[in-house]
Amino acid sequence: MNVQAKHSSGAATAEEAIALQEALPPLTNEDATAVAMQNTLLTPRFYTTDFDEMDKIDVTPVREDWDKLIAQMVSDPNKGHFKKNADWDEVDWDGMEPKLKREFIDFLISSCTAEFSGCVLYKEMKRRGSNPDITQLFQLMARDEARHAGFINDALREAGIAVNLGFLTQSKKYTYFRPKFIYYATYLSEKIGYARYITIFRHLEKHPEHRFHPIFKWFEEWCNDEFSHGEAFALLLKTDPKLTQSFSNKLWIKFFLTAVYSTMYVRDHQRPEFHKALGVDPDWYAHEVFTKTSVLTGQIYPLMLDIEHPRWQKNLERMQVANVQIANAKKAGGIGGFIGKTLGSAKAAFAFVSLYTIPAIKHDVPQETLMKPAY
Amino acid sequence: MGLLTRTKEEVPCVVTISHRFEELSAHVKFTDGSVVGPGDSVLVHGAEIMAAFGEMVEEERMATITRASTVERMWTRATGDFEFMELCEFSFSDEVMA
Repeated sequence: MNVQAKHSSGAATAEEAIALQEALPPLTNEDATAVAMQNTLLTPRFYTTDFDEMDKIDVTPVREDWDKLIAQMVSDPNKGHFKKNADWDEVDWDGMEPKLKREFIDFLISSCTAEFSGCVLYKEMKRRGSNPDITQLFQLMARDEARHAGFINDALREAGIAVNLGFLTQSKKYTYFRPKFIYYATYLSEKIGYARYITIFRHLEKHPEHRFHPIFKWFEEWCNDEFSHGEAFALLLKTDPKLTQSFSNKLWIKFFLTAVYSTMYVRDHQRPEFHKALGVDPDWYAHEVFTKTSVLTGQIYPLMLDIEHPRWQKNLERMQVANVQIANAKKAGGIGGFIGKTLGSAKAAFAFVSLYTIPAIKHDVPQETLMKPAY
Repeated sequence: MGLLTRTKEEVPCVVTISHRFEELSAHVKFTDGSVVGPGDSVLVHGAEIMAAFGEMVEEERMATITRASTVERMWTRATGDFEFMELCEFSFSDEVMA
């Protein structure tokens, strides 16, 4: 369903690839319909926060590490990476099994939305903050996220999916994120993102026959960006020991870990064909990613979730079942659907509480915070 | 800002959309220095702004900021935190495929 005669994936150099794309005829809404491109509206959230509080962050206690990290990000080691070269093989979208294609496209769209939302959030921080250390960091991270989003967008275009950025002319509500929750949530999303990408990358290195799309070849450098974003948040968290050491904040950290891990589990289990094609068992994958993320977040979080606890796997599975029930009830609609949804939500909440109350493993945070991507 | 009532403001803004290989992004900047708070909604006037692939489009537009009521603002402050999951690549996407 490709519109272009010669796609940039066939280009030998990055410059040629970009030139080829720019030479494409402008794609208006009508054209898009005419060539039967599927249109998917990106629906990012918009955030606001307490910008004054954020401006008060003082990176002096971590200055040496901070400057090192920022210098590395400024040097932009991955600048030349997100370009299609000869490694970008032709993808047989039409020959792809429809269920796999659907799940894979869903994967690309949610990845693109996540990168895009990250970019919107970081850019907003950059624009409304006035602390030069902080605004510089957010500017650099926004740059990376926009680049990743552009790269995924291109893969989607190849599949005949046009991303619609027209959402700005629809009413958008701004939600609110307390600064410390931005740190906990984004830190974790960057680190788990790294763990997820690198686990797939290493698996496909060993089993190249399962690499059904070239985008996976880019995962290594890609996740190094995620890794360094995570490092920056680890340093931000270190500037104020209360953020990771006070009793209530430890509860919040545990909450974020539990919420992120269990969401990932449920979500991945909704893509059975995608994982089958990769030759990955989603239970094995979840365990691998959780193990890596626990080790990584040990750089700053004083606790780890006990994923070997007998209640862990059992309640993840319960949550997954509850989630299927909610989805089916939503589809069914009516009073029966409402009851099913309520029951499913209650089950999911119960499973979540069971997971959250598993005693965490306490550990001492190392003096040295910065790590190297070693997986 | 009333306890339960919303107010509307019309403000000028610049919309920037980059739909390029090296950058996919979209931003709204209020040129009169207006800022948005928790629970406020923003609607950019006019037709959808479409950037063709490979293009960066910048347009001056008017926008309506609907200010949240005090109650809404408090509610958003209290509950907005739970939408963080969207930043994760495995978040639930609710986009509609047309």
